[in-house]
Amino acid sequence: MHANNDSIDPILASVLQRRFKSITEEMGLTLLRTTRSPILNEARDFVTGIYDHNGRMLEQTEYIPILAFAIQPVCQKIIAYFGDDIHPGDVILHNDVFTGGNQNADVAVFKPVFHGERLVAWAACKGHQADIGGAVAGGYNPEAREVWQEAFRITPVKIVEGGKLRKDVWDLVFANIRYDIVAEDIKAQMGGCVVGERGIKGLVEKYGIEKFRSHVEHLFDTTEKMVRSEIRSIPDGTYSAQSLVYYDGIHDGSEMLINLKVIVNGDEITFDYAGSSPQTEGFVNAPYAATASAVLLTFLMLINPDIPHNDGILRPIRIDVPEGSFLNARFPAATTFGNSLTGPNSDAIFKAMAKACAEKVTAGWNRFLGFTITGTDPRKNRPYVDILFLALKGGSGGTWMADGYDHIGLINCAGGILAQDYEMFEIQDPHFLIKHEYLTDSAGAGRWRGGAGVETEFTIRGTSITGIAFGDGIEEESKAFGIFGGKEGELNSITLRYPDGTIRKVKSKEIVRNIPKETVFSQIAGGGGGYGDPFERPPEKVLEDVVNGMISLEKAKTDYGVVINASEMTLDMAETRLIRGAKA
Amino acid sequence: MAYKVGVDVGGTFTDFLLMGESGSSSVFKVLSTPEDPSIGVMRGFEEMAASFGTDKMSFLSSVEIIVHGTTVTTNAVLTGNISRTGLLTTRGFRDALQMRRGIREETYNNRYLPPSPLVPRYLRVPVTERTDCDGEISTRIELADVEAGAQIFKINHLDAVAICFMHSYANKENEITAAERIRKLMPEAYVSASSEIMPQVRFYDRVSTTVLNAAVGPILNRYLSNLIEKLEVSGFIGVLLIMQSNGGVTSARVVTELPASTLLSGPAAAPVAGIAYTAIHGVRDFITVDMGGTSFDAALIKDGEPIVTNEGRVNRQALALPMMQINTIGAGGGSIAWLDEGGLLRMGPKSAGAKPGPACYGLGGTDPTCSDANLMLGFLNEEYFAGGKMKLDRGRAETAIKERIASPLGMDVVKAAYGMYHIMNVNMASAIREISIRRGFDPREFLLVCAGGAGPVHAAMIAEELEIPQIMIPKESSIFCAAGMLLSDLKHDFVRTYHTVLKKDGVDLERLRGIVKELLADGNEVLSSERISSDRRIFRFAADLRYVRQYHEVSVAVEMEWLESYREDSIKDAFHRQHDKLYGYALKDEKTDVELVNIRITAIGLTDKPVFPKGAFMGSDAEEFVKGKRPVFIPSLMDFNEIPVYDGDRMGFGHFLRGAAIIEQVNTSIFVPPGFEVTCDEYGSYLMSPIN
Repeated sequence: MHANNDSIDPILASVLQRRFKSITEEMGLTLLRTTRSPILNEARDFVTGIYDHNGRMLEQTEYIPILAFAIQPVCQKIIAYFGDDIHPGDVILHNDVFTGGNQNADVAVFKPVFHGERLVAWAACKGHQADIGGAVAGGYNPEAREVWQEAFRITPVKIVEGGKLRKDVWDLVFANIRYDIVAEDIKAQMGGCVVGERGIKGLVEKYGIEKFRSHVEHLFDTTEKMVRSEIRSIPDGTYSAQSLVYYDGIHDGSEMLINLKVIVNGDEITFDYAGSSPQTEGFVNAPYAATASAVLLTFLMLINPDIPHNDGILRPIRIDVPEGSFLNARFPAATTFGNSLTGPNSDAIFKAMAKACAEKVTAGWNRFLGFTITGTDPRKNRPYVDILFLALKGGSGGTWMADGYDHIGLINCAGGILAQDYEMFEIQDPHFLIKHEYLTDSAGAGRWRGGAGVETEFTIRGTSITGIAFGDGIEEESKAFGIFGGKEGELNSITLRYPDGTIRKVKSKEIVRNIPKETVFSQIAGGGGGYGDPFERPPEKVLEDVVNGMISLEKAKTDYGVVINASEMTLDMAETRLIRGAKA
Repeated sequence: MAYKVGVDVGGTFTDFLLMGESGSSSVFKVLSTPEDPSIGVMRGFEEMAASFGTDKMSFLSSVEIIVHGTTVTTNAVLTGNISRTGLLTTRGFRDALQMRRGIREETYNNRYLPPSPLVPRYLRVPVTERTDCDGEISTRIELADVEAGAQIFKINHLDAVAICFMHSYANKENEITAAERIRKLMPEAYVSASSEIMPQVRFYDRVSTTVLNAAVGPILNRYLSNLIEKLEVSGFIGVLLIMQSNGGVTSARVVTELPASTLLSGPAAAPVAGIAYTAIHGVRDFITVDMGGTSFDAALIKDGEPIVTNEGRVNRQALALPMMQINTIGAGGGSIAWLDEGGLLRMGPKSAGAKPGPACYGLGGTDPTCSDANLMLGFLNEEYFAGGKMKLDRGRAETAIKERIASPLGMDVVKAAYGMYHIMNVNMASAIREISIRRGFDPREFLLVCAGGAGPVHAAMIAEELEIPQIMIPKESSIFCAAGMLLSDLKHDFVRTYHTVLKKDGVDLERLRGIVKELLADGNEVLSSERISSDRRIFRFAADLRYVRQYHEVSVAVEMEWLESYREDSIKDAFHRQHDKLYGYALKDEKTDVELVNIRITAIGLTDKPVFPKGAFMGSDAEEFVKGKRPVFIPSLMDFNEIPVYDGDRMGFGHFLRGAAIIEQVNTSIFVPPGFEVTCDEYGSYLMSPIN
């Protein structure tokens, strides 16, 4: 089949791959156990990885996919930045989006791993911190115009040098961050890196540096081969698509264009974003790493999910994003919305690739719309923050042979973030839930329907309430798209019903201040788009959804051409054939 | 003669361990009968009777205790053959069961579907009612909704009903009102109310557990009444005890109230067996592993106590009852070898099972499996598998490995077979890392107890991967779990949620004492019903605690007196210590507030356990038991060597040998690599360790 170098033992390469995976998972478990912010230990918004001496990914475990490309570019920049001034016992801190970072609030810790005096690898952990300085707590600032209103910038800096904590640097950094738990969580990340360092050291000692390196190269090569063979299965060609992002947070009615050309040439693939909108004056911009992560996570959904995540996977992929566009904004742009551009970006990728590999793409996913509440809990008289994960999780798009996934949430996380448990939600925050259920007819119709969205309703019983809306998917055009005849999913919306009866519709990006106690919060997280002609969905499947109240009788008829006898809940096959036949 | 019998129903075999009063024991194995497992169980009793030259009737009348591990409930959930079940739940929240908090376990796989809900949406009936998180009823129950629900359930011919209302752990009034009404309207149905089985905070966990309980209730009832009838007709007048996933046993009557406690009970007896086998060596820290045909179960025991978890999963559904923490992976003798698209060798998790089985079984299997590799490497004996009852086909094993693995990789069959063996060992070592290193335990400080038919061939190499210095292989390693069942105590868990910050003026002492009293009453009631005299009852309390703003609790053992007299410092200190042990830090010095979430009791009824006989010293040199020599692949040499094969069935206390060697027994085979030595202990177990 393939020629092996004589000195390469393919079995050892398999063993190393398994070990690398288990090292990064062990680092991840360390973080889950030792961090304090719920963004890290509940929402699992972090990534752990190990990289070779050149900063090439050996393996990584991203708990949510948006972090798939969050470390490697920085690791390489750090190596270039410090040159040969990297020594055993150093620890480097970084968040800056203009030196390779993907999002200001995602702070990375890097630890070089030495074998004797020789640099052999890097261990790194990156996690979304509860605060990173800037104008508002928590880092989501829809009013930001420049990076400094969003975050304290941390360019590559040694916080530990030769095993000794640099107290002056440490104090400077944390003098600029609001919450104490951030310092604790950074220490937890340093602990995670020690776990990674220990794992790698053990392997290098066991197999020796030369054998280790040659087998790592072999591992990269086998992974690269797998990815190339996946790409080769896609027909050559140039596939174009466009996708729009709605509202820049400043100008009502504004739209930003994602203009994508995917070029498949043999076993290589290029994602070219030339012609996309220029950067915005607000925060609806992405740094390059965030855009690259969005591309990579969508690409990973198009190929065999078992391919190891290492440098080999990246080799046949090129991502060209023009500098100065809103997908690769220039200094000193505000960019906190960058990760949230993943949804619209993956829309473009799926639409483009639909022409090349119809069976691998999905219809549109429900776009992310979140609402973070800060205020005071009068029961305990203490401040609280709630990201309302349960309310923001809509449905994914249908695909060939599979319906979309109900209530999965944004594609950046792909089911990795959990909705809060209802009882814990009410115990921890002053909110009284009225409803949290699937929304009837929210899923786009299709031969394989979209995933269903949810509706959430609760009474806010806190005081001094401020809400920060952050997302997309409320404009009519931003519905999750249907594909190959499938229909669109339901839209997102957030509504506040004040105690005096006033109804306040919330924009997709804004800060809502002074929300009174006893206001009822209602959110719809919409459904995913449908795949294929709904008239081809087996009538029994439609009936099942109607019986379960996921699809209304009316939609069964209009969208699916299925007529159901309402009193008996049975199929009227004669009528169904008539309607379905008429269309054909 | 009064016998005790442990019966372990597995996927392929039903294992029996029979023990007499004097401690004499014998092992029986029959093929399992998945369509009705009681057939296989009764067949086993017939074989036992026959071996004593008596009839089933007189044999069974001399059996005083049968401890039975059953997988009928587990299989029902895994195959979807559960009872038709309905759910009554608070209006506005009927989808929690199906949503599973919105998790997709496979991140990048867009064809990965959620499991079908245990109760379809149209049978999840909303009831207008509401209790808030302080236990205040804010909306009274609409009984008309309950009646409408009963109507729907009856029309759909349901056998079981689960009831779970918001915050019913804090005030069960509405839920009990609904349960009483349903029981009246549907007297034939199996009804399970969440506050009756698990009054514990977290709605999704509770609704899922309650539904699982209801959905397997009628199945376990049917199975047990059928089995009891068969046993009674055959003269059995003793006690039938059932193994639970918490590592304890329970009476057949009590288990029908909490049938979900038998889900995942399959491997739960292994830690108990491990405690018995290791006790004579004064060992209290060990890891048990059990490798069979398809799966590998690993559990860690620290200070003589197995680790218990409340976060179980069955078929991707939450099961929040306390259970042994056991890590199961798809690794066994039948694990299939394959090459991924990049040409890397992988093993499992798919298994060839018993049918068609590994290629070497000659039953039609063509996939190369772990057993095929073990045969090629000489670890297994083609002439003496299952004591010679089954012949293995070396030619088929070789062909399978050659075609699927060796040729594509451009290597010879032996090297490929060794690769398969090695990857298996790495996979199993990873599964052990998960329960040890990842939870803050260093496996090098533990004894590895290796059981199961397929385990002992791999034991030494797994230990080497993890640098574990000592291994124990129980004499009858293949019926390890059946032995554990006979050694288990009766064990019942109860829980109450009391959510409060641990502060002098914040804790309602009356309420705390009331909960302790209620839990004690629950424990005493169930043990009385099992006729356990009060001097044989042990009660253990635990508190689920966390730092303010943490999301997950840590269960901490506490004294009853600490709760009754509210010894805040003792409780907090125990928590800080436990937290530090598990997660490597505590916030004691920071004076971070500690929150109480649940209080638990484990009510234990001590059973009469059979005594394992200690063998007499049989001499030290095992040389006389060498029954031959054969070529076996030695990993450290990367080549074959002629090494002696010992007849393990004849060896006993005191016998000693040095590797490289193979020890062959009827149901298992042990590989002793060069540089390792083996001694037989008083129970006939083998202790293996590297020669210093």
